[in-house]
Amino acid sequence: MRKLVTSALAGIGLTLACGTSVYAQDKELTIFWAEWDPANYLQELVNLYEAETGVKVTVETTPWSDFQTKAFTEFNAKGSAYDMVVGDSQWIGAASEAGHYVDLTDFFNKHNLKEVMAPATVKYYAEYPSASGKYWSIPAEGDAVGWSYRKDWFEDPKEMEAFKAKYGYDLGVPKDFKALRDIAEFFHRPDQKRYGVAIYTDNSYDALVMGVENAIFSYGGELGDYATYKVDGIINSDQNVKALEVYKELYSFTPPGWAKSFFIEDNQAITENLAAMSMNYFAFFPALINEASNPNAKNTGFFANPAGPNGDQFAALGGQGISVISYSNNKEEAMKFLEWFIKDETQKKWAELGGYTASAKVLESPEFQNATPYNKAFYETMFKVKDFWATPEYAELLIAMNQRVYPYITGNQGTAKEVLDSLAADWNATFKKYNRVK
Amino acid sequence: MAAVRTSSEIGFNRVAIVAVLLVTIIFLAPIYWIASTAFKPRNLATTIPPTVVFQPEISPFVKLFTKRSQLRSAPTPEEYAAAPWWERVVFDGGEKIVRDGKGQVQWSGYPSRFMNSLIIAITSTVLAVGMGTFTAYGFSRFKVKGEADLLFFILSTRMLPPVVVAIPMFLMYRAVGLNDTHVGLIILYTAFNLSFSVWLMKGFMDEIPKEYEEAALVDGYTRMEAFFKIVLPEAATGIAATAVFCFITAWNEYAFALIMTNRRAQTAPPFIPSQVGSGLPDWTVIASGTFLFLLPVAIFTFLLRNHLLRGMSFGAIRK
Amino acid sequence: MATAVMTTLDPNSRSATRGMSDLTIRNLFIIPTIVFLIVFNIFPLLYSLGYSFTDFRASSPAAANFVGLQNYRELLNDPFIWSNFAITAKYVIVSVVGQVIVGFGVALLLNRDIPLKGLLTTLLLLPMMLSMAVVGLFWKLLYDPSWGVINYALGLGNFEWLSNPDMALYAVAITDIWMWSPFVMLLSLAGLSAVPKHLYEAAAIDRAGSFYTFFRITLPLVAPILMIAIIFRTMEAFKTFDLAYILTSQPTTEVISIRLYKMAFQEWQTGRSCALAYIVLIMVLAITNIYVKYLNKVKER
Repeated sequence: MRKLVTSALAGIGLTLACGTSVYAQDKELTIFWAEWDPANYLQELVNLYEAETGVKVTVETTPWSDFQTKAFTEFNAKGSAYDMVVGDSQWIGAASEAGHYVDLTDFFNKHNLKEVMAPATVKYYAEYPSASGKYWSIPAEGDAVGWSYRKDWFEDPKEMEAFKAKYGYDLGVPKDFKALRDIAEFFHRPDQKRYGVAIYTDNSYDALVMGVENAIFSYGGELGDYATYKVDGIINSDQNVKALEVYKELYSFTPPGWAKSFFIEDNQAITENLAAMSMNYFAFFPALINEASNPNAKNTGFFANPAGPNGDQFAALGGQGISVISYSNNKEEAMKFLEWFIKDETQKKWAELGGYTASAKVLESPEFQNATPYNKAFYETMFKVKDFWATPEYAELLIAMNQRVYPYITGNQGTAKEVLDSLAADWNATFKKYNRVK
Repeated sequence: MAAVRTSSEIGFNRVAIVAVLLVTIIFLAPIYWIASTAFKPRNLATTIPPTVVFQPEISPFVKLFTKRSQLRSAPTPEEYAAAPWWERVVFDGGEKIVRDGKGQVQWSGYPSRFMNSLIIAITSTVLAVGMGTFTAYGFSRFKVKGEADLLFFILSTRMLPPVVVAIPMFLMYRAVGLNDTHVGLIILYTAFNLSFSVWLMKGFMDEIPKEYEEAALVDGYTRMEAFFKIVLPEAATGIAATAVFCFITAWNEYAFALIMTNRRAQTAPPFIPSQVGSGLPDWTVIASGTFLFLLPVAIFTFLLRNHLLRGMSFGAIRK
Repeated sequence: MATAVMTTLDPNSRSATRGMSDLTIRNLFIIPTIVFLIVFNIFPLLYSLGYSFTDFRASSPAAANFVGLQNYRELLNDPFIWSNFAITAKYVIVSVVGQVIVGFGVALLLNRDIPLKGLLTTLLLLPMMLSMAVVGLFWKLLYDPSWGVINYALGLGNFEWLSNPDMALYAVAITDIWMWSPFVMLLSLAGLSAVPKHLYEAAAIDRAGSFYTFFRITLPLVAPILMIAIIFRTMEAFKTFDLAYILTSQPTTEVISIRLYKMAFQEWQTGRSCALAYIVLIMVLAITNIYVKYLNKVKER
């Protein structure tokens, strides 16, 4: 019996040894990111680094829905499985305050990245707290929400005529949310299995909130004062109530079963001939211009998030910066990699491979802007983006917003005003709990 | 029974057979759908009306095992011609295979997750069934004070929702460095299955007549020898049935694996849903991953099916 | 507790002259399992009991502060938590009742001389061998209103299984019923085959109706084993996480495990989630206790 126990323990030990030794080679870096195409593009980019320096870099991915959980699990365990993370912009507060990220302020200043990278990316991906001059990551993948649409449906003369007759103006790329709403209503024909618009509604992470933000920001609203944590009167302002109402109205023009949709479903709405227009992050547009994956590739167009009633035009920020994890055993090697990553040639190559560089120089170049049908819209959008809270307790704020807004949008519960008033109260309570406000 | 059968009963029997067949077809339809989708070309996975007849393809499996990314421009004819067949099927889908700095094809995460699943499920099943058999024998043959309470305690450990246990386990594992290790999951699954294994095995042990061992003891066997040479062979059916159940549970477990593992020790269940695709879904790849993942349990169960059916009846009745 | 119970040797047992004494063997066989279960099941719970009285966050290096019963008080006053419990209860009832009806029904059909009975039974067991996570993912495709096979086969058009807040929970339950009815069927078959044939023959000779036979002979004799199936399925349904988590994100399907997962591993409110885990734990223990008492009653009859 003793022998049995001993041999069982030995077996376990052996498995453990096998499990860890494989990864114990030196000169190897691991970058953690979410499961999406940019991560594959990054893998291609870092292959060049391996060719140059012999240091093998691996990009590890996990689905978006549990990216945050996985990353913070590893951080909290002070695990060294990953050397760098391309972390969401909202994480900076939590990760920097808890000491998970290496302070990159010196690196940032030394390379003058404040000038090199586009301003919005510096502000939202790298700096925390706001305007403190402290930097925690290098803007890596710029991203924002844009729209794709069916050019063939929009340019059909019969449709154009019918639209003009009904709404009194020409059918075309929507200039504001009113036009967006009208076009969605116009193309919404369930009997023909054709629907108006595809929007984000998944409430398991930040998809729904990002979608709603697009409306709120363009309507001139804000989520709160990020410096003073004041939310009452801001998140439940009149503009925001209207913005939420319009988002709910858009939901009524979505294809059936549209209550848990994120980037995959929204792209599918275009490829499967479901919707006239579809909201999505720019990072997911490559699949739409590829004829092998989108039969409608030739007929797919793109536009930036439209303006609100007052002419304000903003979009929800996506995208991530790359940070060095404090618990990595290869921090020096990681810093060397970052030195390489911020080089102009690297950033140019990064854009060529399909990554959305944050480098201002590359973004402004005509090669970049003409490389794809949506790069210009991307360039324009990146100068008018806003983001969610980046405080350490942002996950609670996000879940509270999902909890309040989702039943209203998809389940027809309550009014926009009630929903936002309750949300203001929830957020205020959260900030009180963490002593952000008195 | 047959003697008192009336014609209406025979008619009812026919109806029952037809009904059973219908139920079987309904129950198997989703599994058929998974299996057939695993061999479909991508564009046939979401057609209406559903595609039932098609030319089977191996491309989903190629995609399952390789890391791919969206093509941004079509490959040149030379590139296409120079590529091996398995790279061409990926090109045809508008994607390309990602290669590392040395030009080596990169594997997807699937093979390593599959191996992790095998290592973890097999080891934990062996441990849980082994310990469970000893303990069940102990409870079955010796008087233990408070036996009912102890057995209830053992069962109660299985009632806890995994997420409830996962929170403290997560903190404890973090403190001792067991997060994201094979050992960590093996211990969890063993603990999880052990209670079930004790309960099932106790039913089987009670079933084996005490006289067998007593005769052996009289013949000069020690208790240990009697246990290994007489009792264990008798309990084979029960052990097999218990092993199937423990293996299925460990093989398919999701919540602990989701929370406790990242990369080194991740098993397939949390990994497969993550393969939905980047940009556009590829159901054929998910189906092929699911199909392969189902094979080991299906084979295991099929081989042990007689033990399983018989075993379940014994174990459950005697509880 | 375990060791105290086991110090006395059963006076009736025969101690062999060679080898280990029965007492040693018994302890050797039983104690490791008990210790293992205590270390990995009970100790973690004690560990989290402590945290449930603090504001500890596993995502922050800040020390935990003792907050007394505040976590419990706030949780029990949170209407969202109560709705999570109500949803869980509804889910357990719908899914377990469904499984018992389908599983027991199929078992009744199968409990006769049918060609290829063994093969059919094995095939019917296939759904419960799949991973719930993967099943959830695939049923999402089957339920899809635009290209799902279910709507096509049933001619339901664009019926929204998962997007309709009122339907979503039933859709999750239907998937669960598909997966786990075979389990109930298997146990019921075992119970049915154990009913002595002569009872049916006697009933037939008495010209008893089939209803009478079913309710007076079949059901009472199968009841204990059916009860075991119900206990197991109730416990599993109460624990449900993967299926609902993957199939839909409707608030109407947010069972308690999902809420707990979000609180613990997304919001990182570790202290508060430990408290919620304790509330769940007490409920599970209470439910099981009631069941086991009832089971013993059924067995005695």
